[in-house]
Amino acid sequence: MNLNLEQKLQINRRQLFGRTSTGIGTLALASLLNPDLFARNERQRNAIGGLEDLPHFTPKAKRVIYLFQSGGPSQLDLYDYKPKLQKRFGEEVPKSVYPDERKTTMSSGQDKFATAPSLFKFHPRGNCGTYLSEVLPNLGDVADEICVVRSMYTEAINHDPAITLFQTGAQIPGRPSIGAWMSYGLGSENGNLPAFVAMSSNGSGKGGQPLYDRLWGSGFLPAQYQGVKFRNQGDPVLDISNPKGVDNETRRRMLDVVRELNQLKHAESRDPAIEARIAQYELAYRMQTSVPDLVDISSEPEHTFKMYGNDAKKPGSYAYNCLIARKLAESGVRFIQLFHRGWDQHGNLPKQLRAQARDTDQASAALIRDLKQRGMLDETLIVWGGEFGRTVYSQGGLTKENYGRDHHPSCMSIWLAGGGIKGGLSYGETDDYSVNAVVDRVHVHDLQATILHLMGIDHERLTYKYQGRHFRLTDVHGNVVQPILA
Amino acid sequence: MIRQFKQTHLETRVRLSARVLFAVGLALGCSNLCAAEPNDAVLPPVDFNRDILPILSDRCFHCHGPDESNRESDLRLDDHESVFADRGDYEIIAPHRPDKSELYRRITSDDPDERMPPKSEPRQLNAQESAAIKQWIESGAEWTGHWAFTRPVRPQAPPVHARERVRNPIDQFILAELENQGFTLSADADRRTLIRRVTLDLTGLPPTPVEVENFLADRRPGAYERLIDRLFASHRYGEHMAVPWLDAARYADTDGYQNDRLRYMWAWRDWVIDALNRNLPFDQFTVEQLAGDMLPDATLFQQIATGFCRNHRINSEAGSIPAEWHVEYVVDRVDTVGTIWLGLTIGCARCHDHKYDPVSQKEYYNLFAFFNNVPEWGLGPNNGNSPPFINVPKNWPLIPAAQNKLIPPKPYKLSTTQGAVVRPNPGGPNTVMVMQELAKPRPTYRLNRGQYNSPDKSEVLHPAVPNSLGELPADFPHNRLGLAQWLTDPSNPLTARVVVNRYWQQFFGIGLVRTSENFGIQGEAPSHPELLDWMATEFQRIGWDVKAMQRLIVTSTTYRQDSSASAKLVRRDPENRLLGRGPRVRLSGNAIRDQALALSGLLVEEIGGVPVRPYMPPGIWTSISNAKYKQDHGPNLYRRSLYTYWRRTIPPPTLLTFNAAEREICVVRKDLTSTPLQALTLMNNIVFVEASRKLAERTIFEGGKTAESRLNFMFRTVSGRSPGESELPTLMNALQSFHDRYRENPNDARQLLAVGESPWNGNLAAPEVAAYAMLASALMNLDEVITKE
Repeated sequence: MNLNLEQKLQINRRQLFGRTSTGIGTLALASLLNPDLFARNERQRNAIGGLEDLPHFTPKAKRVIYLFQSGGPSQLDLYDYKPKLQKRFGEEVPKSVYPDERKTTMSSGQDKFATAPSLFKFHPRGNCGTYLSEVLPNLGDVADEICVVRSMYTEAINHDPAITLFQTGAQIPGRPSIGAWMSYGLGSENGNLPAFVAMSSNGSGKGGQPLYDRLWGSGFLPAQYQGVKFRNQGDPVLDISNPKGVDNETRRRMLDVVRELNQLKHAESRDPAIEARIAQYELAYRMQTSVPDLVDISSEPEHTFKMYGNDAKKPGSYAYNCLIARKLAESGVRFIQLFHRGWDQHGNLPKQLRAQARDTDQASAALIRDLKQRGMLDETLIVWGGEFGRTVYSQGGLTKENYGRDHHPSCMSIWLAGGGIKGGLSYGETDDYSVNAVVDRVHVHDLQATILHLMGIDHERLTYKYQGRHFRLTDVHGNVVQPILA
Repeated sequence: MIRQFKQTHLETRVRLSARVLFAVGLALGCSNLCAAEPNDAVLPPVDFNRDILPILSDRCFHCHGPDESNRESDLRLDDHESVFADRGDYEIIAPHRPDKSELYRRITSDDPDERMPPKSEPRQLNAQESAAIKQWIESGAEWTGHWAFTRPVRPQAPPVHARERVRNPIDQFILAELENQGFTLSADADRRTLIRRVTLDLTGLPPTPVEVENFLADRRPGAYERLIDRLFASHRYGEHMAVPWLDAARYADTDGYQNDRLRYMWAWRDWVIDALNRNLPFDQFTVEQLAGDMLPDATLFQQIATGFCRNHRINSEAGSIPAEWHVEYVVDRVDTVGTIWLGLTIGCARCHDHKYDPVSQKEYYNLFAFFNNVPEWGLGPNNGNSPPFINVPKNWPLIPAAQNKLIPPKPYKLSTTQGAVVRPNPGGPNTVMVMQELAKPRPTYRLNRGQYNSPDKSEVLHPAVPNSLGELPADFPHNRLGLAQWLTDPSNPLTARVVVNRYWQQFFGIGLVRTSENFGIQGEAPSHPELLDWMATEFQRIGWDVKAMQRLIVTSTTYRQDSSASAKLVRRDPENRLLGRGPRVRLSGNAIRDQALALSGLLVEEIGGVPVRPYMPPGIWTSISNAKYKQDHGPNLYRRSLYTYWRRTIPPPTLLTFNAAEREICVVRKDLTSTPLQALTLMNNIVFVEASRKLAERTIFEGGKTAESRLNFMFRTVSGRSPGESELPTLMNALQSFHDRYRENPNDARQLLAVGESPWNGNLAAPEVAAYAMLASALMNLDEVITKE
């Protein structure tokens, strides 16, 4: 490839990740008329695309790895230690604590709302002494790195609106996901890879709830900001492999024809969209090489698998996705989101929760350790959490060995670690029943504001005009949770 | 008269130049480019609607606008009376005197306590905007209402110099503005380009080489008009035109929440295709879909049309509270009607008075009352249609007249499942959901913050339309039927404008009003306001005849122009808002896939029926949901894309990659973006690879004996034109190298030819077919092939 073309592609790559909704045509024009337009400020010299005025201030984190736990993990059995509840085993949860109105209709018709204390033992872990459930032994080993927030709450009581709220700031569809906002605002660090990658894995617990494309979609933002789904079956990115019988050389030859004819066309019609199309094909070609390399774990040393667990050898598992997340982080992907299904324990919770914890505990902790060893933890924000909490009362029958828990929006627990987060902290409190967040309450929009803040974004200023309104991720709400920041 | 012409001439000139510059400036986020453009030393006159109202609305209405609860200092900047009210010792705006105008003083004040907007507001006024306000006050502060809330008045088509280019009044409006800018219309596109453009636009499929040659050979006058006649009469017209309507109507084959249970609505989809093909006038198209069940002597067709109002998502998730979701369904109907017919973001007023447009929260629930009287249950049946539904006769749509009668839906039956979850009875695959009106309307209340459980029971709200848009004529029924009739009543200021603007968007890529979903104050002002109003009034005048309206567009010189542009024009007008060249727009995902099927001879044409399940990469559904995709085989793999099974939470990935609407909510505009995923799809996706190899076979059979004639055939089939002298050697060389490679590796050739389920012709030499297949793939990936030129 000659230098001239390479230079052209540089310009075109910028168009490709263009900064305005009006798009590529205008940007191509801009680049021809005024190359200085693309001079970046010092803070973001390497970014491709992104908004001119971003970041708003010096970021604490360069990237985010969001470990989404879909289904609603039970705070009572993982993070929110309530030793006094043991004495209330089987007692009716008072209506004054848990009124009927916001119970789901799956359990609101029950005769009894019997208190179900956790079956699991909790221990203080690390120097900080954060209490964690026995099913999270590995996480306990890195307790000093994480900040557990026990006072999260949401309004949504069903999976679909609840997870949509976490991802997009609204319960109804149509808004951009958090990663799309990030990609729109900050652009990409790597010209060969998307700025936002999503992955999913199936849990061992029964009743895995479905996920939807909108969770990593771009909503009303232009589609180039949507998360690219790295798939857990078949091609890692849809259609990234050449068809059988087409080798790399043949592909290159075919692309040369496409490029040459497109260039001739451009000389005639002068439509700037053609230049962008040419660049798009070159990027696709580079992705065909870079993505398979990225998901190839054959060169990982054995101690990697000791750390992440043997599951990490199985493509599509949570542990494998954690390992890929680390590799994506190293390659400059800005927002990496994992979705692990199966945290919806309406019944048979003790058995299923153990299985879910087994899926995720070791690899989550390994990711923290691995990034720390590589000197990347302080610039990578890690978030772990689901879409709501679970009820203190048992859904269905309660025995000493078994119980279930229904959806519960008024409190839940999550944790954060890494870039800009105060490790070893427990933040916020719930009432004695783990029903309501009562001290230092953190709403979904507050968490979103905080994530954006750590990435150098003022959540009130990152907006996009759509249907006449300046929309933002946090709607008209959200406060940065300052006390958890390092 | 001459003086008057000059006056208009001058006004349009500066107005447009300022607007275009402004648009470019915005797009680039820079001012030095604008400064680089030559500009008149004298500032252009300020237009309230175009230059001032958007500033006030965007920066001030949040606290000084229609929303009462958020209003500061009892000042409404959206309201003439409030702005010019007698305030004793000061005036908000003193015409001709910026120095005496409190508004100007406050927006330019250095005192942080006085300065407006307050420093805490993220959106501040810039110097140009303050200057515009100053200039507006100096020139007398003329105040008019928002343009879109006033009925369109039919304007005179303006005089133009290049009269020989005018084919109909559209051209006069476009040309007048171009001439004012020192430009003119481009020459007509050549006939090959034109037949491809209009065939793709009216049918969603490319012309065949034979059709192209016939058109070229037809030298008699009226050849283009005859071509248009043929295309409008094709059943493909309705199939193609249905797609944007299905997007807007959020049509899908599943319910859309959580497990995304299946439903059966294709009888309604087929009604749409049929209605478009028989050119049902848009006013009837409106009434039948919103209230066909309420028409006197309603037919079965009219009843099935009301499926439109039932296409919203329905929640079947166990544990959901029926009352909560029932509200969401009604809200969806209101918001969808608001977007499709009124072009307004009515939904903003669900929780509070609209921040920008004059729609109060109470008025929102007046609209809500129209749609609140369906005998329905808030929770879905967990697979199957939700009541009310009817059985679609087996012989539908070919039913005798006597059978074409409304079928009263049976009342729903509730049963308790999964402990305490109460669900209605489901409708099976032979049913379709329809509208039905309760004998006694449900009482409607304003819902505080839009919450289902906080109704303001102090007042029962009756069906009514927002005051700012007029009122239901006295002789209209005050129910859903009356609302539907009012939408296309001459007194309605919006519908005709909104609809013709969407047609414009469909043919030119961008509407005259770019924000086709928002004609409110925060929407973008029209690029050609007089043209928009002329077209809106023309649409009404000709009785909402859709094909006639679209014919007017496609027969205009404006539409028929060459789409290539001079460097000067591209620089001045990169987005082609002035329409100084023909439209050049990437095809939709549907059209790209359908075209590949057509070019290769794989396309199976059959109108309507059960949705089909073509190829999908493995595990698309199972990897993130609890449902399994069962792919079809045989002809169903090759049906037009609009028949592809639409799972709302996981839409068909190939179409989504090319910016298809997700169909979760009403969408009338999608930005066309360019991403590498599109390249990967076109190069590697099974259906495109299969189409390439089938086109290769076709080429070998039909393209003559020599490589050159075959290349010519393939190129003409794919692009409608012959390869140029500079292109042919590139293609010949590539063909040779592909052929060499596959001769050396015949096994690779056989592997390539095994992609897809259609058999390959074993009589042909595999290396040769494979070589042509690679070339076909290259051609089908060309920008001009996936673009309407």
